[in-house]
Amino acid sequence: MNKQLFPCGQTRRQALWQMGGGFAGLALTSLLEQDGFFAKHAAAAESTNPLSPKPTHFPCKAKSCIFLMMNGGPSHVDTWDYKPELQKHAGKSMPADKKFINSGGRAVGLLSPAVRPFKPGGECGTMVSDFFPRIREHADSLAVIRSCYTDTHAHGSASVQMNTGKPIIGRPSLGSWVAYGLGSENQNLPGYVVMLDKRGGPIGGQPNWSSGFAPASYQGTLFRPQGNPILDLTSPSSISRTQQREQLDLLAKFNQEHLEARPGGTELASRAASYELAFRMQAETPDAVDLSGETASTLTAYGLNDANTAEFGRNCLIARRLVERGVRFIQLYSGGGHLEETWDAHESVEKNHGRHAGETDQPIAALLTDLKQRGLLDSTLIVWGGEFGRMPFTEGVDKPGRNHNPYGFSMWLAGGGVKGGVTYGETDELGFAAETNKVHVHDLHATILHLMGLDHTRLTYFHQGRDERLTDVYGNVVRDILI
Amino acid sequence: MIPPLPVQGPQIKWFFFLSAFVLSQKSYAIQGNFERDVAPLIVLRCLECHNFVDPSGGLDLSSYPSMIRGGESGSPISSESDESLLLQRVLAAEMPPEKNGKSQTLTNEEQLVLKEWIQSGAPWPEGRVLDPYERTTAKRAGRDWWAWQPIAAADTTSPNTTSNAIDLLVRDSLHAHQLTAAPAADRRTLLRRLSFDLLGLPPTAEEIAAFEQDSSPNAYEKVVDQFLASKHFGERWARHWLDLARFAETNGYERDEVKPYAWRYRDWVIDAINSDMPYDQFVTEQLAGDEIPNRSESSVIATGFLRLGTWDDEPNDPNEYQYDRLEDLVHSTTTAFLAMTVKCARCHDHKFDAIPQTDYYRVASSFWGGPVAQRNRDWNGGPSKEELGFDVLGWTDLTNTPPDLRLLAKGDVHRPLQVVAPGTLTGAPAIARAFDNPSADSKTSTRRLQLARWIVDKQNPLAARVIVNRLWQHHFGEGLVRTPDNFGFLGSPPTHPELLDLLASQLMAGEWRLKRIHKMIVMSQTYRQSSIHPSASKYSEIDASNRFWWRAERRRLDAEQLRDSLLLCSGRLDRSMGGPSFMAPINDEALEGLSKKGDAYKASPAEQSRRRSVYMFSKRSLAVPMMAVFDSCDTTAPTGRRDVSTVAPQALTLLNNEWVHGESYAMAARAIAAGSDRVQRVSAAWRIVLSREPTDREKDASIEFVSRWQSTSNSGAVNSDADQELLAIAALCHTLINTNEFIYLD
Repeated sequence: MNKQLFPCGQTRRQALWQMGGGFAGLALTSLLEQDGFFAKHAAAAESTNPLSPKPTHFPCKAKSCIFLMMNGGPSHVDTWDYKPELQKHAGKSMPADKKFINSGGRAVGLLSPAVRPFKPGGECGTMVSDFFPRIREHADSLAVIRSCYTDTHAHGSASVQMNTGKPIIGRPSLGSWVAYGLGSENQNLPGYVVMLDKRGGPIGGQPNWSSGFAPASYQGTLFRPQGNPILDLTSPSSISRTQQREQLDLLAKFNQEHLEARPGGTELASRAASYELAFRMQAETPDAVDLSGETASTLTAYGLNDANTAEFGRNCLIARRLVERGVRFIQLYSGGGHLEETWDAHESVEKNHGRHAGETDQPIAALLTDLKQRGLLDSTLIVWGGEFGRMPFTEGVDKPGRNHNPYGFSMWLAGGGVKGGVTYGETDELGFAAETNKVHVHDLHATILHLMGLDHTRLTYFHQGRDERLTDVYGNVVRDILI
Repeated sequence: MIPPLPVQGPQIKWFFFLSAFVLSQKSYAIQGNFERDVAPLIVLRCLECHNFVDPSGGLDLSSYPSMIRGGESGSPISSESDESLLLQRVLAAEMPPEKNGKSQTLTNEEQLVLKEWIQSGAPWPEGRVLDPYERTTAKRAGRDWWAWQPIAAADTTSPNTTSNAIDLLVRDSLHAHQLTAAPAADRRTLLRRLSFDLLGLPPTAEEIAAFEQDSSPNAYEKVVDQFLASKHFGERWARHWLDLARFAETNGYERDEVKPYAWRYRDWVIDAINSDMPYDQFVTEQLAGDEIPNRSESSVIATGFLRLGTWDDEPNDPNEYQYDRLEDLVHSTTTAFLAMTVKCARCHDHKFDAIPQTDYYRVASSFWGGPVAQRNRDWNGGPSKEELGFDVLGWTDLTNTPPDLRLLAKGDVHRPLQVVAPGTLTGAPAIARAFDNPSADSKTSTRRLQLARWIVDKQNPLAARVIVNRLWQHHFGEGLVRTPDNFGFLGSPPTHPELLDLLASQLMAGEWRLKRIHKMIVMSQTYRQSSIHPSASKYSEIDASNRFWWRAERRRLDAEQLRDSLLLCSGRLDRSMGGPSFMAPINDEALEGLSKKGDAYKASPAEQSRRRSVYMFSKRSLAVPMMAVFDSCDTTAPTGRRDVSTVAPQALTLLNNEWVHGESYAMAARAIAAGSDRVQRVSAAWRIVLSREPTDREKDASIEFVSRWQSTSNSGAVNSDADQELLAIAALCHTLINTNEFIYLD
C-alpha cells in the first residue's frame, strides 16, 4: 500500500477560475490576438484562456497522446501476456485458491491456453500473439505492461475508471486533465478529440470523455471521421458561405454598437470574437479529415482499401493528421455497442479477437510506421489497451470465450519518451492476476501524465473543498519503462 | 478564553519539593506559552496524524497521558531533552513527513518553541485535551468560524422598509470604499431583467410598452407581484434547485436505466415553489417526507431527493459501494442545505473546517437504515413500492434499528473502527445533538427527521444563510458568499455579513416563506440599478469583481433561458406544465455516443418538444448537446453555481444547429404576418426577437441585409418570392438571436 496522501486544497488558484468567471469571459480574446482582433485585451486574457498552451511541470518528449481504446476488454493471455504454463494446465479447473468475482454469473469452464500461437518480435524478442502480426514488427518500440489491474469487473464502471481514474461517474477524463494541464497548440481545433467506433459508443457513454466537475471547455469533442467531424459545423445547405459571411458582418456591426454603449464589456467582446473563431473552425476542421492530399501508398498502408480495416485505418490516419495539427489528446475506440461488437469475447476469443484484431492490427502498425517516418513518434505517446482483461478459463465446453478479468491484464505504450522493446510486470503462472510489479490504473495514469510532462500529484483542480487529482491519493509512475 | 489550568509535567513532579516557589512562577509562564505557542503548533502540525481516532504509529498527541504513553517507537518525551524522540525526529526533518512532494519541515521559530517546551519538561495543563477545532488559525477554521456563529438578530421594527434596509447596508459598504451605486436601470432593461430572473423568459415588446407607460407609483411592484404569482416562477426557480438535487432521470452506468417517476419530484419542486411552501417544510419533506406525522404521497415524492443520485446496479464490491452511496447522500444533503463540504471527512478529519471524521458518520447514519445495500435490481437502489407505501420514487428506512455504523480508518471498508452514534454535525456545539432512538412502533429510525429538524432549527445558523445566499446569487449573478456550496474555510467569506444575516433572520421571522425574500431583494434599489456605471473604469480598479454592488452584473442567459426564449420568440412555446419529460430532438451524430443505438433514445415528436427546458429528459449517458454547450450542469453531484464559458462551439450551435434554424423560420413567419411591407416586417423581427424597435441605423442595415439575402438566395432551393422572403427574414431573425443583446442580460 502506498503512503496515503490527502491532497485537500493547498491553493485557491482553481477556485479563482471558478469564481470570477474569468476564464469564460476572456477565454477567446487571446486566441484572436493571433489574428489581430482585440489586441488590447490580449495581454490580460493570456492567463485566463482555458486552452492556451501551458508549460509542462518538467521537460518531456510527448506533445500529444493517442489512446487506442480496445473497448470491451481484450484477452491478455491471447495477445500480449505469453503464458506457456497455461498450456500445461489446459483442461484443468481454476485452482480453488484463486478467488474472483464471476462477472455476470457466467459458466466457469476449464483453463484454456492462448487460442493463437505467440512468436517473438523485433530484436527484443517480446512475445506477441498471431492476432497482431503487424504490430509485432514494432516490438522494439513497445513497452508492454503485463501486470495491469483495475477495481471493477463491469464494462460500464471499468471503462469509466480507465478513462477517469475511478469507477464512479462524474470525474474529468484523462484527456480533460491533459487539456487542462497543457492547453492546446491549435485553437482552431478541439484540444481533446474522441473518435468512436461506428458500431456505437462505450457502455456508459458521455461520462467517459466528460470533463466532470471541471469546466466544459476541457471535455472531449466527438469527432466523426467523414464529412463534418463535429456537431453543428455547417449551416443548412440553403445558406452559402458568402451569405454566412454577410450574416457575420451584420452580426459584428450590431455587436459593436452594443459594445460601444457598454464600455469595458470584455465578456461581450470575447463572445463577439468567438464567432470569428467559429467561422475559421468551419474551414479548418473538415480539412483535418480530408484525406485527398494523402498518397495512395499511405492510404493503402493504413488499410483504407480493405473493408475490414478501412474504418479504424481512417481513424488512425486522422489521428496522425490531428497530431500534426497540434491536437493534444486523441482517443480512438475499437469496438462499440455491446458484446461481440466490442472486444467482449464471451462467445469465442478466436472469432471475436480475430475480427477486432483483424480490423486494427494493420492500421495501428501503419500509424507507428508513419509517425516514425515523419519523426513524430518521439513526440507522440501511443497507449493501447482496454478496460480490463479476460479470464484464463473459458465459459464452457462449447463456449471458447472468456469472462471479464479486472485482476490482471496487459497494455502497451510506445513513443513519446517510452522505452521500447521491454516488458514490465508479470501475472501469475496462469495469467489470472497481476503479481509482480503490479500497475494499477492510477499508476498507468500517473505514468501517462508524467510522459506528457505533468506531475500527477501537482495537477490538481479545486472542487467542492478539495484539490482533486486524476489519481486521487494514489499513483506511482512506472519509471522502468521511461527512456 | 481558555481558563488557567494547573500544570503537570515530569520535571515539575520531580523537582516540585525542591524549588516550589521558582517553579510556580515558571509554570505560570509556561502555561501561557502552552496555550499561545505550543498547543497551536501541535494542533496544526502533529494532530492531523497523531490524533486519538486513528493515531499514526500508535502515537496520540492530543493529551498529556497519551503523549507520555507514546507509540510504537516509544515515548516521544524524555527527561533529557536531547533524547526526546519527538525533538529528534522533528529536527531531522523526518516529522512532519513530506506531503505531495512538498517538505513540511517546521520553521526555525516552530522548532525553537518545541525545543524550549521540551527542555522545560513539556509542561501540559492538567486535563487539557487538544481539540483540533477549538479555534480558527491561519490554515484552518475552528468552531469560531463565522458560518457557525448565531445569526445576528435583525432590527425588524420597520418591516416595510426592508428592501431599503438592503440598500442601506449595501450603501454603507460602497461608501466605505468610496463608491456610489449606479443610476437606476431604464424600464425596458429592468423588466427584461426581472422577467428572465423570475420567470426565465423575456417580456414581449407589448409588455415592455405597457410597463413603460404605467405612470402609477407602484408600477414596478405590480409587475413583481404578478411575476411572483406566475406559474412560470416555479418552473424557473425549480431549475436552480434541480441543479442542487443532482437531478437526472436515469441511473448512469452500464444500463443507465430510467428512474421511474423522477419527474414527479421535479413537479413537486415546482409546486412547492409556486405555492411558497415554507423552506423548513421544503427541507424536511425532502429528507424525511416518509417520517413526518402528516406523511402523504406528495411528501414521499419529496424524498426522491435521496434517490436522484447515480446508481450502479453492478458494483464491483457491493459492501464498499454502500459507503459510496452514503457519500452521495451525505454530500448532497450537506451541500444543498448547509453548504458544508462534509464529504471531505469520510476518510479523515476535515482539513479545513470544524468537521471531525465522526461527524461524517454521525450524519451518514441517518441514511444507514435505508436501502443502501444491493438488492433486487428492479427497485433501482430504493425501497420497493410495498416498503415505501406508494408507487413513486422515494426513500424510507427498511428498519427502525439500523445496524451499527462504524467509522472507517482512511475511509477503508476493511478497517472499521469504533461505532459512531447517530447525530448532527458538531461545528456549533450549542446546537449539536445526538439522535434519539425511535419509539418501538416506529417503522423508521427517525434519524432523517431529526437531522432535518436540526437543519431547520432556528438556532442553526447555516440553513437560512445558505438559502438566502442562493436567492441573492440567482438574482444578482453572484452570492453574498461567492462560494454558495462552501461556507467553510476554503470558501469566500460574505461580502456583506450583516446583509446576509438580515435576509436570513427575515426569512425565519416570516415563517420561512421565500417569496417574501425574493420580493425584498427585487424591490431594492440595489437590484434595480443599471449595469452601466459612469465611473466604471475607475471603479473597476477599486473593485473589479463588483463585490460591493456598485452596478448590476451583466449575465449571459443560461442554457434553459436561451432555449425557452427561442421558443417564445418563435411563438411555439408550449406552456403546459408538469408530467413526464419530453425527449429533446438530438442530431443523429450526437447519438453515436450511446452504446445502444436506436432504442436507447427516442426523441419525442416535435410538437411535444416545445415545452420549457425544465421538462427536458435528462439522461446521464447522453448530455443534450445544445444544453451542454451552454454550460448546463453535471448531474452527478450538487451544483449551486454553474460555470459560464464562452467557447466557439456555442457560436457554431447558434449559427448552424438545425433546430435553431427551424425556430428562426417560425420567427420570420410571425414577422411577415405582422406587417405588410418590408420595413414593417423588419421592424417586427426586431420586436419579436429583441422586444424593441430597431434604431434607424439598425433598420436600414437590416433592410439592406434582407434585400441582398433574398437576391442572392439559391433559387434552386426555393420557388416563390414569398419563400425567398421568408428565408431572408429568417436570416435576419437568426442574426438577431446570435447578438450579444439577445444572449446577455443587462
